[in-house]
Amino acid sequence: MAASPKEIPVPNIEELFRPTHDERARQGMVSMIRKHAIIDMRRALKADYDERIEPKLEREGRKPEDWAAIEKSLEREPSYRFYSTIRYNAQEMCYLSVQPAVERALPAMIDLAKDLAARNPTGGSLRLNPNLEIPRYITALDVHLAPGWVHAEYTADDVAQGAVVAFGGKVFSGQHPYRKKAGAVGESISYWLKRQYPNFKPKRILDLGTTMGKNLLPYCTAYPHAEAYGIDVGAPVLRYGHAIAEHEGIPVHFSQQNAEATDFPDGHFDLIVSSFFFHEVSVKATKKILKECNRLLAPGGVMVHMELPDEATVSPYENFFWNWDTLNNNEPWYTSYRAQDPVQLCEEAGFGRDRSFKLHVPDSLTFGEERYEKFMRGELESPAHGSGGWFVFGATKQ
Amino acid sequence: MTTSAEVHLPRQTKGKRPHFFEDPSIDQMMTFLLELTTEVGVLRERLDTVERLLDSEGSVTRAAIEAYQPDAATEQERAAWRDAYLKRVLRMHAPE
Ligand SMILES: C[S@@+](CC[C@H](N)C(=O)[O-])C[C@H]1O[C@@H](n2cnc3c(N)ncnc32)[C@H](O)[C@@H]1O
Repeated sequence: MAASPKEIPVPNIEELFRPTHDERARQGMVSMIRKHAIIDMRRALKADYDERIEPKLEREGRKPEDWAAIEKSLEREPSYRFYSTIRYNAQEMCYLSVQPAVERALPAMIDLAKDLAARNPTGGSLRLNPNLEIPRYITALDVHLAPGWVHAEYTADDVAQGAVVAFGGKVFSGQHPYRKKAGAVGESISYWLKRQYPNFKPKRILDLGTTMGKNLLPYCTAYPHAEAYGIDVGAPVLRYGHAIAEHEGIPVHFSQQNAEATDFPDGHFDLIVSSFFFHEVSVKATKKILKECNRLLAPGGVMVHMELPDEATVSPYENFFWNWDTLNNNEPWYTSYRAQDPVQLCEEAGFGRDRSFKLHVPDSLTFGEERYEKFMRGELESPAHGSGGWFVFGATKQ
Repeated sequence: MTTSAEVHLPRQTKGKRPHFFEDPSIDQMMTFLLELTTEVGVLRERLDTVERLLDSEGSVTRAAIEAYQPDAATEQERAAWRDAYLKRVLRMHAPE
């Protein structure tokens, strides 16, 4: 669908966020504390484990064999304790550092989002369902340590959690080498899709757990003739995401739905995507959602989800690193999700095993074109997930 | 329902807080320490703004501080300062 000509520019909801001088300075500090934990201290912890802890345990004949044993061996080590506490505090501070400015901006943000939802100047839409039951796995605790996460509403037509999660996310990734640009995942995967399936021209795209569509927008740019749909259970993030997409001039149809059972017709989409999604739902829900994907995907279609690498794909140490979030970042499904084989999950959902895949694809923003061509020819491996590459799994349909 | 102008967002996270130390007071102290570390960085940045305004304008007002927008080079210098500052403050003892 083509965007309608824009005589009057659509205002940007993000420009209503006006932190004070000191709030901005605080956000900058928090980004750097987060970087210190997730890059510098993570590296120091790994070195301490490799050079001191593991050799010592090996000499004593008790070398840790799996991620849980590695975690156990580290629990009392200062390198682990301080890495953990600094990482945990930085995570909380991301949201704390933006909340006051969001509170001040809220009335104006709500007015703008409401106006854009009524007018749809770019041609997108917003469909909310106030009766939707938000799954327990979303409401039981505050995922990512974000109070109110993506779903809490404090006033009518609320967008606060959209803004908190969006700006808190910018603080979170402000100094991260591979996450500085919003939408890096959508950009990287659409870049890969275009090379992997050069003749593939999707007509309708669906993004599951889209939050505010940050990683859906790059697919719209890559496939400008496709209609784009984003679903999520959280109303505030959908309202906020709709306002952003309308401002960006990209028509997106947002709707508040549970991905386990949507109201779209069979075979409605030829590209189904998601990012950072499945590890946030229960394993039971994961299986239901993949079945729903199978119902929604048209023949000739492609499904591709960016996710954490599964346990079997990475080393025991890396499994320890990823599973840290389970108890320490309110991500209760991380460990059990990662214990599944994504290819097997696709097969169980009805996709052909030989048409299902899992692999790392390079981060297209940082990898370089020449190296990318080598990667496509199989001459060069992708960097690991989160370190210059992204792990994806999915399936194609005949 | 609360009007949009009255919303106060919750500052506490729902869910069990992990402890990384035997004595949970140390977990609490780490929060104090990191908040204080952050505030020193904020204060230092404010001073940096004052100095830069004095260099370029010869005078400074609170409104000028609020309105100050660092250019990319200044932002880069500030990021480098924060990075070095945190490496100093969060210096770890050698493992034993
Ligand atoms: C970590 S966020 C995803 C981030 C987003 N895809 C991105 O790339 O920026 C996970 C999202 O999935 C949503 N979600 C979780 N369970 C869902 C379900 N059953 N149906 C639809 N959305 C769901 C959550 O509300 C949340 O917004």
